[in-house]
Amino acid sequence: MSEEIRVGVFVCDCGSNIAGFVDVPGVVEYAKTLPDVAFADEGRWSCSVDYLSKLQNAVKEQKLNRVVIASCTPRTHEPLFKNSVREAGLNPYLLEFVSIREQVSWVHMHDREAATLKAKEMVKMGVAKARLLEEGHEIQLPVGQDAMIIGGGIAGMNAALAVAKQGFKAYLVERKPELGGLLKELAVISGEHGEMTAADILKERVSQVEADPNVTVYTDCVIEAVEGYIGNYKVKLKLNGGSDQNVDLNISTIVVATGMEEIAPEGLFLYGEDERVITLLQLEKKLKENAVSGVGDTVFISCVNSKNEQRGCCNIGCHVSVKDAVALKKANPDSKVYICYRDMSLIREEHFAIDAAKQAGVKFLRFPDAKYPEVSKVDGRLMVKVQDILSGREFELPADLLVLATAFKGNETVQDIKGQLKVSASADGFFQERHIKLGPVDFAADGLALAGCAKSPKTFKESCEESLAAAMRVSIPMANGHIEAEGIVADIDLTDCTKCGLCAKKCPYGAIRVNENKEPAVIKALCKGCGLCAADCPSNSIQIVHFSDEQILAAVEAALEDNPEKKILGFICHWCAHGGVDMAGVSRLQYPPVGRMIRVMCSARVSIKMIERAFELGAAGVLVAGCEFPTCHYISGNYECEKRINRAKKKLAKKGYDVDKLWLTWCSAADGPKYANTMRDMAKQLGLS
Amino acid sequence: MNDAILIIGAGVAGINCALNAAEYGTKVYLVDDTPSIGGMMARLDKTFPTNDCSICIEAPQMYEVDNHPNIEILSNTEVRKVKKADGGFKIRLVKKARFVDEDVCTGCGACVEACPVTLPDEMDGKIGGTRKLIHMPFPQAVPNVVVMDPDCRFGRMQDKGACVGGCVVDCSQCRECPIALCLKACQKEGKDAIKLWMGNKNIDIEVNSIVVATGIMDAKPGEGLHGYGLLENVITNMEFERLMNAGGPTAGQIIRPSDGKHAHNIAWLQCAGRGLATGVPYCSKVCCMIAAKQVIITKEHDASVKATVLYNDLKAYGKGFWDFYRKAVDQGVRYVKGRPYYVSEDQETKDLTIRYEDLESGEIKEEEYDMVVLSMGLVAADRNKKLAKVLNLELNELGYFKEKDPFLAPLETNVEGIYLCGGATGPIDISESVVQATAAGIKAVTAR
Repeated sequence: MSEEIRVGVFVCDCGSNIAGFVDVPGVVEYAKTLPDVAFADEGRWSCSVDYLSKLQNAVKEQKLNRVVIASCTPRTHEPLFKNSVREAGLNPYLLEFVSIREQVSWVHMHDREAATLKAKEMVKMGVAKARLLEEGHEIQLPVGQDAMIIGGGIAGMNAALAVAKQGFKAYLVERKPELGGLLKELAVISGEHGEMTAADILKERVSQVEADPNVTVYTDCVIEAVEGYIGNYKVKLKLNGGSDQNVDLNISTIVVATGMEEIAPEGLFLYGEDERVITLLQLEKKLKENAVSGVGDTVFISCVNSKNEQRGCCNIGCHVSVKDAVALKKANPDSKVYICYRDMSLIREEHFAIDAAKQAGVKFLRFPDAKYPEVSKVDGRLMVKVQDILSGREFELPADLLVLATAFKGNETVQDIKGQLKVSASADGFFQERHIKLGPVDFAADGLALAGCAKSPKTFKESCEESLAAAMRVSIPMANGHIEAEGIVADIDLTDCTKCGLCAKKCPYGAIRVNENKEPAVIKALCKGCGLCAADCPSNSIQIVHFSDEQILAAVEAALEDNPEKKILGFICHWCAHGGVDMAGVSRLQYPPVGRMIRVMCSARVSIKMIERAFELGAAGVLVAGCEFPTCHYISGNYECEKRINRAKKKLAKKGYDVDKLWLTWCSAADGPKYANTMRDMAKQLGLS
Repeated sequence: MNDAILIIGAGVAGINCALNAAEYGTKVYLVDDTPSIGGMMARLDKTFPTNDCSICIEAPQMYEVDNHPNIEILSNTEVRKVKKADGGFKIRLVKKARFVDEDVCTGCGACVEACPVTLPDEMDGKIGGTRKLIHMPFPQAVPNVVVMDPDCRFGRMQDKGACVGGCVVDCSQCRECPIALCLKACQKEGKDAIKLWMGNKNIDIEVNSIVVATGIMDAKPGEGLHGYGLLENVITNMEFERLMNAGGPTAGQIIRPSDGKHAHNIAWLQCAGRGLATGVPYCSKVCCMIAAKQVIITKEHDASVKATVLYNDLKAYGKGFWDFYRKAVDQGVRYVKGRPYYVSEDQETKDLTIRYEDLESGEIKEEEYDMVVLSMGLVAADRNKKLAKVLNLELNELGYFKEKDPFLAPLETNVEGIYLCGGATGPIDISESVVQATAAGIKAVTAR
């Protein structure tokens, strides 16, 4: 690109919010002296409609091809200015945002001179980076309208129907000969709203699935291989129990609804030794087959194999136990039915079910966490010895049937699917969702969704809701016909690439794939732009659009050109750490004006080279600030950053730098005080205040 | 046919429903009757079971909503009338007077600084939180504009001595408040965003379907429950949440309301008020994990703080919840299966004594604490009743919206084209709200 660089700098007064504490005209005059700056202007309210049109005119009339906005914070206002320059005909990636309100005027209110100097230098850093900015483009990847749903239980069937309703094709893949999953083994589904026979639900759903022309069902089917990514999955199925017939599918998106199974409580409470000791699921089968008349006294024991070192609450055991206890009592009014429990984990209105069960004659005994009931055989009869903390007494309960509410695990296909889809699962074989709160039915990679008991044990209703949610997540790209990534993406130059494969291994989104020659390539539409790969690449072969090494280093150099020994150079992640910085600003927390911060999307973008460069140039200290654990907007960037900083410290120490001058902080978006304190402490320790 | 949808309530459920529907390509009207989107989650410090910072993960979604071309946010707005028409709905919305021009205000805060009247904050009052008559709902509010207390405009502050300068004019009859320091401050900044004379505004829209995401409320303790309201250092779990929030009124300092000193020995009373006439009649699902979160964060703030949880049944129903509880135990938190009877106060030190029954030993015990946190449950939002009428929906006896067929048609209502998600359906956690919001989203965008 040989075009002349013409940078426009727009400095905002924000009424008196900035202008009251910073000599804005001075900053504007200073900006005009910076290399390649063709235009600089002061705006009273830069975000106002009239000023934005003035800005757009300036872009056109002055032929500006780079824009620096010095105002509030990019976290809230960058989209507005990006749109504005886009409308003026400029690629929005040629805009750089400098935060002189939250990072200057609001936090250095009592030192106009220092605040003005900092604002000037931040504009200088912005201009230095802006000069090197290149156009970025949103990247689209076409996505067709074919979804594969793995697992033909209630979640899978619901997801298939919801997908098919929109006219998309749904391929429902079930390894067993029939649809239905766990539901096939259950008698009655109950909830706070009432009861329904499982067989009725199943019949209704299966007939709907079979009648839907957009749903293709493959039962008795093994998934041989899955290759590719969203929009491009190639799937090989083997039919008839994996014997002869093959089916090849081209698939756009995938829903995993593989369900769960009981962990057999071998060796516990005589299970496996005495056939009168059964699991909840085995009891459900008996209830379903109406094989419970004549069952004598029954004892339930809850939390078997649960709530221990290995695993937590099974979520459904209490609910099912109470329901089944009532059913047994109804079938055999003269039998005694006891539930021995640790915590009665009935939630919401289901709690009323306990009262109903008590009324039906079910007895509840609560044993201490550390003292489970003991089961023995006395004269051929089962005997359950239990300490009840409610009455403070010990009971010996003779039983003809002992029912264990035992733990669950993901079903046996989990290991295969993990490998095929490159996703992770827990020790118990439950799949890992993207984010426990805000990404509950997503996998890390786009186009892959998760529903029902494949994630963790769920009630029937929860599974139904999740299956609809998962259907929505895969339907969005299918309805749009594509996915689109922001222009901030990784770009690999193979010239110096050593084909080590580290980038592909490290990418949390599976956006980097290596070909048969071991050459990595970025599937740009899948890339989220965190920059982890670029910072870790041993041959410096990866660049991130808008956050290239060159651009970031230019900002580092601009920041440290004058009096570097008096400055802390900082790298702050866009999400939480920048949120904390902004919060300190909004809260008007005052701290020493010695910091010069560079925004990166993720703390994982910060390479050792960048830190080293700052020390080389004589920075008094370097701060890297990322999201507080466990929050990371790129799944695990902050963890990767922490590892890298430890490596950086070793390397810097070897080169003779004082590693105590390299600080790392994890800051939540609410934690303004933490950021302000970090700046104060750091300035103090480094002798800057 | 109009394929827009209306989402009522812009908490985490409404926001996620909106983002999904908008990404799908549907036009969304996102309505909230408060001045900012964000709902309850925006006020929380952390989320269980990972201790993710609540606003850290919600604010980016709020900004995304704000910038999404398919989403129109209508804050401070109520749904007044809904009529079935042309296979969809005709809707009359009322945008309540904010006394601030949303298009002009930049949220700079000059008016807030100028406002001379400081009041206890509705949510944080008990723990020292204050706000001005004109204020920003919270720092990350979207839209990021201030709102004026209607009480200020309608003269209701006069008898509280709030009107400075001894003005005697009836405000409701006065177009030009002679005081209005906020207005002057705004004009001085070169803006004229404050509109002292602003009425409610009707907005008529047509949509294809409606999602009710009106959320849930934290239950308020009944009069004198475990001394609440009488004893200064008895607070609710929501108040404690605000106390430990770095963005809250104490900047994250866990201090006692009575003397502002750090609390060193705190008890959490689970199921507070449950089963009482004034209490919540059911298990609210989330309180056990809220307590686990709060004790862990308390320990992280200061490991020397003693934390005790008196609980009944531990609800660790979700993924990772049990490990979260174990983490609390590993950090030295004392969990006691106990039934509290009575909390009393030392009038001088304001320290508290709890009399309770230890369920495992059956003994009655008395223990001293310097702060007591009542784990209050969740109750149906008070807006549900009015809204149910407007939407022609049924509520169950607990005040939540009724589903037509929870098993076969989850989240659907007795009115075709109206769907439910989140706290509108009952006590629920964030992740379940997001699941339901996404599920309601697909129903709404594929409704007809």
